[in-house]
Amino acid sequence: MTWEIVIGLEVHVQLATRSKMFCGCANVYGAPPNTHVCPVCLGLPGALPVPNAEAIRLGTQAAHALGGTIHRTSVFARKNYFYPDLPKGYQISQFDKPLSTGGAVHFESPERGRVAVSITRLHLEEDAGKSLHDRVPGKTAVDLNRAGAPLAEIVSGPDMRSPGEARAYLVALKQILMYAGTSECSMEKGSLRVDVNMSIRQHGETTLGVKTELKNMNSFANVERALDVEFERQVGLIESGKAVEQVSLLFNAVSGTVKVMRSKEESHDYRYFPDPDIPPLVLAPDWVEKQRATLPELPEAKRGRLMAQYALSAYHAHELTLDVAVADYFEAVARAGGDAAKSIGWVLGEVMSGFNEGHGFPVSPARLAALVGVVRDGLVSQQAAKRVYEEMARNDGDPKSIAERLGLVQVGDSNALGKWVEEVLAAHPGELARYRGGETKLIGFFVGQVMKKSG
Amino acid sequence: MSIGREEVVHVAKLAELAVSEAELPRLVDQLSRIVDFVAELNEVPADDSVPPFQAGAETTPLRADVVAPIPLARGPAQMAPAFIDGFFVVPRLGAMEES
Amino acid sequence: MSGEDGKKQRLGAITARETGMRLKAAEPLNAALHWSQDVLNAEGARVDAMTASGALHAVPVAIKDNLVTIEQPTTCGSRILEGYTSPFNATVVERLRQAGALISAKANMDEFAMGSSTEHSAFGRVKHPMDHDRVPGGSSGGSAALVAAGVVPVALGSETGGSVRQPASFCGVVGVKPSYGRVSRWGLVAFGSSLDCVSVFGDTVTSAARVLHVISGHDPLEATSVDQPPMRMPEMKKDLRGITIGLPREYFPADLHPGVKAATDRAIATMRDLGATLREVSLPYSKYAVPTYYIVAPAEAAANLARFDGVRYGPRQIEPANGDVRALYQATRGKGFGPEVRRRILVGTYVLSAGYYDAYYHKAQQLRALIASDFRTVFADGVDYLFTPTTPTPAFKAGEKSEDPVAMYLADIFVCAVSLAGLPAMSQPIGRDKGLPIGGQIIAPHFHESGMLSVAGALESALDGTAEVAR
Ligand SMILES: [Mg+2]
Ligand SMILES: [Zn+2]
Repeated sequence: MTWEIVIGLEVHVQLATRSKMFCGCANVYGAPPNTHVCPVCLGLPGALPVPNAEAIRLGTQAAHALGGTIHRTSVFARKNYFYPDLPKGYQISQFDKPLSTGGAVHFESPERGRVAVSITRLHLEEDAGKSLHDRVPGKTAVDLNRAGAPLAEIVSGPDMRSPGEARAYLVALKQILMYAGTSECSMEKGSLRVDVNMSIRQHGETTLGVKTELKNMNSFANVERALDVEFERQVGLIESGKAVEQVSLLFNAVSGTVKVMRSKEESHDYRYFPDPDIPPLVLAPDWVEKQRATLPELPEAKRGRLMAQYALSAYHAHELTLDVAVADYFEAVARAGGDAAKSIGWVLGEVMSGFNEGHGFPVSPARLAALVGVVRDGLVSQQAAKRVYEEMARNDGDPKSIAERLGLVQVGDSNALGKWVEEVLAAHPGELARYRGGETKLIGFFVGQVMKKSG
Repeated sequence: MSIGREEVVHVAKLAELAVSEAELPRLVDQLSRIVDFVAELNEVPADDSVPPFQAGAETTPLRADVVAPIPLARGPAQMAPAFIDGFFVVPRLGAMEES
Repeated sequence: MSGEDGKKQRLGAITARETGMRLKAAEPLNAALHWSQDVLNAEGARVDAMTASGALHAVPVAIKDNLVTIEQPTTCGSRILEGYTSPFNATVVERLRQAGALISAKANMDEFAMGSSTEHSAFGRVKHPMDHDRVPGGSSGGSAALVAAGVVPVALGSETGGSVRQPASFCGVVGVKPSYGRVSRWGLVAFGSSLDCVSVFGDTVTSAARVLHVISGHDPLEATSVDQPPMRMPEMKKDLRGITIGLPREYFPADLHPGVKAATDRAIATMRDLGATLREVSLPYSKYAVPTYYIVAPAEAAANLARFDGVRYGPRQIEPANGDVRALYQATRGKGFGPEVRRRILVGTYVLSAGYYDAYYHKAQQLRALIASDFRTVFADGVDYLFTPTTPTPAFKAGEKSEDPVAMYLADIFVCAVSLAGLPAMSQPIGRDKGLPIGGQIIAPHFHESGMLSVAGALESALDGTAEVAR
């Protein structure tokens, strides 16, 4: 029997606003606990929410970026459940009238080539605080700095067919959201979180099996791993004559196992109803259209344009657009006169590895363009230019003078070199005599003199 | 009786309200009376064309994205029944312990 | 400093002392939950440091204990908030302070404003100032009793389903509920958010109007606040010529209490004498108001009261044998809330729980729309204001309805529909039956508070609201 895996993802991203969703507290990460709190996000008696305009704008742009239909009227509702890090005993979220429905994410599946995964909905909500279990022995400690942070929840259709495909979807989605300026999308900081719904069925079947929900994955790699583990577990259950139960599971990345967190019987009855504190959110069509028009160029479009404009391969365009900052850097190099075909190697090599290690861009696009020029003119070999680049990253100076200082200038014309050497030797008979007498360190002096001529 | 003992126990659990065995019969009685009373509305015809009521402003105003929290005259430490090292503290949670 | 100016500058201190004496004398009513001479004196000094031009300069105001204040505790009449003091002020409290009012006492109330008799306070029932065996009405019974007993000339209460008009009627004072959204809810501890209105008690129509003038107006801290200017002070009229008053027949049932009927008949005759045109009208959906209310309000309350969990503030209860966080919740909430609050939380949770939403909550919101459209139709048809009795009977005896929740709910039969429709309305004294006050209710279209108060003022000057009626 061959089993097909069916995967849908719910992704929560924190919106890149200055203040929280419904109050004026700062939306920041890493502050001392309970220092960014106010009557609203503490759920104090008498406090009331007012939605943040920028959160609505970022959510709308994210929905546009995913090709969703943005609804003229959406409604904030109360999702009722008790949890120590949920101050009001309900989360303000959107339920039956979300900000946006529909849309898709297009990407290369590792198995199926180009695929489109549908987006069911994008809605806005507030984050909960954090419960920490290792701060106070035997107790749970609650930090409400995150409570009330603005979130967009993006729900995909059950359209993915392998753990690797789920991962590729996440990479593509994150890229779109970062291009759109929606969120920092950092799983480490918790500004991007993934819940997975997964079921299995026989290949060819059209109905869905019983799904389980996986939580607590802290990286895209672990999402893929957790899906592998859960796939094996579900197959094992069914093949041994048992049934899959609708449960929520926690993934333990250390042991590589899943553990039941909550069964269906214990599942929540959230008692959603429209939040009477917040009238419907009504967006004017021309405002919604303006958000589409002012959306930054998205990865898909950028790849197409880069290929056309700079004659890049699909592979290069893909690599270059992984991070919008790198793509922007490349274009700046090109604008500064750096030959595109020659710059691409630099950008995808030295520049990108430094950037990925968190060093930013120590060599300005203009300086890299100059280095590319020096290499093109044959002044410095491709090999030597790497050392020049390293030095440029550390210190100021144009590539030519750095190459000279390091003695990396190559002279293509050996006759010229021979002539310069003869001239230098002839001009410094005393030094030549001392060198011949054993003072070998004078070789540096001669090289310097030759280089002066070559410069 | 439109609402029975089991439903009252279930609803009390959802609402996180301790209800003792001793008070349950009387509570079931009173809640049934209330629920029967409000169920009177079921007799009123109102099809889907009647939109639900909306109180107050018709559309929500939005707040500018400015950091300006309402100040607290007394901080969390002074309000909380248990507060250690800057955290609100509660008894251990069962299900989420490993996260 | 001349004598007159000197006295003006010490008005706050004088008021503080006198109000303290009155509060002390009124202690047997159990109408004030929190007050102290120290806080009063500090308020007096604060007011004396201000210019005397404030609209409520040195006027002592009692505040219902569900409006949060930094200087005094806020308990909502509940054990679950025992000892709680808010770290911020309600917008209405700020506006009163800026107008020079002296925040004098926090008034007793039915726990979380759930009740119609102020018997459901965790800190003991409030007594009717004229007959201690009777109830002052509720839930704002403490505020009503303090005004009726002459302790303060004005007080703030709150309405969710008649909680100011009904006790105003029982106690023989003026009670005004504004349009929903006209007065800020920021700092009003939520009960039924789509219904809650900060409302005003006054010893006269004018004094209530002065307070409403000060506290009304848009508040950016509340998303449901309507963008309307503060209410202008009503024009004081001598007659009601050119005004059409509708008398909804559903509010004058055949079995209406004879004293209430006699008092309303006399008030109607007075309005006719003042030149008003009186017309019978119909509000057919009003008969569903009480059951509709008892779905919407508990549903919203169940969510609004979820924040009282013993985690961030308020006293905490925990079963010693069980250290689980659920046990903390259940014990804290189980012990902290009184019986009526528990009943409403359970009903509210029930009507929102899986499978029941459409049958109850959605249906109730539709009924609400129909109830509101009845009023719109009547007002669109040439009726300026409506007049009805405020309550079906005068103040009842303590304990009379406490065993039967539904009987208690029906005490609000004439006030509930207005709350559901979000309209402004008020109660004013129109006579007494066997010494007990009877209130007449005026209902106005949205944002017509000022005109409504004008009509009330004309009626107040033409009619002795304390005169015994002849049945
Ligand atoms: Mg969510
Ligand atoms: Zn806040």
